[in-house]
Amino acid sequence: MSARLNKRSGGREARRVSRQTNIEQIIPFIERKIPYYEFLDEAGLELIERNADAVLEQIGVDFKEFPQALDLFSAAGADVQGDRVRFPPGMCRSIIQNSAPAEYVQHARNPERNVIIGGNRTVLAPAYGSPFVRDLDGVRRYATLNDFQDLVKLTYMSPGLHHSGGTVCEPVDVPVNKRHFDMVYSHIKLSDKPFMGSVTSAERAQDTVDMVELVFGKEFIQTHTVLTSLINVNSPLTFDATMLGAATVYASNNQATIISPFILAGAMSPVTVAGTVTQILAEALAGMAFIQLVRPGAPVIFGTFAAAVSMQSGAPTFGTPEPSKIMYLTASLARRLGVPFRSGGSLCGSKIADAQAAYESANTLQTGALCGVNFMLHTAGWLEGGLTVGFEKFIMDVDQANMLQVLLQGVDLSETGQALDALHEVGPGSHFLGASHTQANFETAFYRSTIADNNSFEQWQQEGGKDAGVRANAICRKMLDSYVAPPLEAAVDEALVDLMVKRKAQSEDRSY
Amino acid sequence: MTDDNYDDEEIILSELDDEELVLQMHDDLYDGLREEVVEGTEILLARNWNAEKVLNEALVAGMTIVGIDFRDGILFVPEVLLAANAMKGGMAILKPLLVESGIEPIGKMVIGTVKGDIHDIGKNLVGMMMEGAGFEVVDIGINNSVEDYLAALEEHNPDILGMSALLTTTMPYMKVVIDELVRLNIRDDYVVLVGGAPLNEEFGQAVGADGYCRDAAQAAQMAPLLLHNRRASRA
Repeated sequence: MSARLNKRSGGREARRVSRQTNIEQIIPFIERKIPYYEFLDEAGLELIERNADAVLEQIGVDFKEFPQALDLFSAAGADVQGDRVRFPPGMCRSIIQNSAPAEYVQHARNPERNVIIGGNRTVLAPAYGSPFVRDLDGVRRYATLNDFQDLVKLTYMSPGLHHSGGTVCEPVDVPVNKRHFDMVYSHIKLSDKPFMGSVTSAERAQDTVDMVELVFGKEFIQTHTVLTSLINVNSPLTFDATMLGAATVYASNNQATIISPFILAGAMSPVTVAGTVTQILAEALAGMAFIQLVRPGAPVIFGTFAAAVSMQSGAPTFGTPEPSKIMYLTASLARRLGVPFRSGGSLCGSKIADAQAAYESANTLQTGALCGVNFMLHTAGWLEGGLTVGFEKFIMDVDQANMLQVLLQGVDLSETGQALDALHEVGPGSHFLGASHTQANFETAFYRSTIADNNSFEQWQQEGGKDAGVRANAICRKMLDSYVAPPLEAAVDEALVDLMVKRKAQSEDRSY
Repeated sequence: MTDDNYDDEEIILSELDDEELVLQMHDDLYDGLREEVVEGTEILLARNWNAEKVLNEALVAGMTIVGIDFRDGILFVPEVLLAANAMKGGMAILKPLLVESGIEPIGKMVIGTVKGDIHDIGKNLVGMMMEGAGFEVVDIGINNSVEDYLAALEEHNPDILGMSALLTTTMPYMKVVIDELVRLNIRDDYVVLVGGAPLNEEFGQAVGADGYCRDAAQAAQMAPLLLHNRRASRA
């Protein structure tokens, strides 16, 4: 059709280099182009909203050992008796809608990695909080700072993960009162993606703020968000002083918080989907209102972590239908409220990266994508109900994360996308493999999995008959071997190290 | 709760002989019927059964069956809670009699969640299972400092100290508590059991506990064994 279809492009050498990465376009976050799956109709959602308001008005929420919260709520018109706060109907919603941003930018130290959280965007972050790892030798053991650093590196090297996360595992080998320094420093030093702050005490939250001031500048962080941190509710209907203390530090410094009801349904919430969602909404409304009262305009995310519980044993279960329903409903409610939504992840109850892990994780990831999660924590690495981070699992999940990106991009309806000229060129019979349109588009046409094996049985067998875990293991080792740190300004690095050394020396090592 | 195949024509407990009554009490425990268990307990006592015999043959034996079916996944957690509640009904009547006659209870446990941690569902399940196994349980709640634990040990003089934590950042506090027991030379006065999601066997040993219990059912199995071993070694 044209005189010369192809030009020289460097022959074999260049082609081998260009085929190293399977992600053509490294984007800082996903812009969603597909509709949301609305699971419940308007009437159903309204019913739940009314019930949540009734819960807030008649039952209320406890804010334990934190007089500042009680004062703020009292001044705003709530009924406060002891630690129990009861809210007039609509009060929390109105406070939130008055000032909470529908979306915000979280700045990374590399501006190209800034993410927008909220609206039509999806930001993916790794697993959070596990005390154990399942390492590349297949051993389940307590996590160390070294593991933490490896996970930060892997996240940095995975284009499908946009955010460095927070407690990617818990470094149990460092004293409790000092490990947050090393954790925050690792995010800054080993990655240039946005990250989360420490929440295990108000002091540690303040240390985090002080550290990011060294990176971004004191004035900058008062007008820009550089941290998003996880504040869990003590479901049912209780906020504790530790979480409130950390939340207050972040909010008053204009940093974002995720108010996350943490629910094992049946134990910490009623055994029904509607009852659980009602409770989640009530808890989130109260917590998000608190944040806006601390500092109007401080970004706040409506979070939900909800698993079902095995009524036989009391253990949490994942990848089952009910948590999916809960996620769909809470996503809708967050959209109606007008705030960003956090949920989802590659959740599973399996101890190893086996078939159970695969389908449970896939169920949760797919739901997270379809329902419209804006900030997805636990996207990669999750095992064992969150007790363990698996390195092989991490690699498998990142592959899925990459796929979510493609799914959420929707359908290309450009001329190229319509492919009419290809249809004209080939016509009936024959095949498309060599057509010009195919030649021009094949490289980016279909997502290429990092670990899937789609070869013939014979080839697979010849190559060792490896299963997905073995392949993921090899990929992980290769990635860690090839890691190169992003550059960090020497002066900033020195200032951070200086701060850490000084503060660590100020107190003895403690286990609490 | 109701089984249409089961014909619950009025079973009059007082009309059953001892053997049948005990079996019916096992069933009533299994079904979580507190009033019926209380009634059965009173009937046996009125027939001059001593309290210890009622405890062991009617209540503890019945809860053992509950424990087995719970372990095997036939009974669910809410049903076990009901059964334990039914047993407590019977225990309430027996306890003063047992104390009076100087009968040693199977064991007594003080249990609490450690400082900085306010999670308690697991701890509550352990308490429930332990009571079901015949233990007296003193639950000192959440967020307990060393001082709180020591005060409870002093006041209640239990056989077992149980510590629970959900957070990785609070579990190390268990070592603080145990180290203090060692320092005060009272470590050997107690069997120390620990549990919670972020723990494991290795951790239990590292902090100096006598046992790590992976779940409530295992706690109820391990506790009597450890107590028995301790008593035997001191006999």
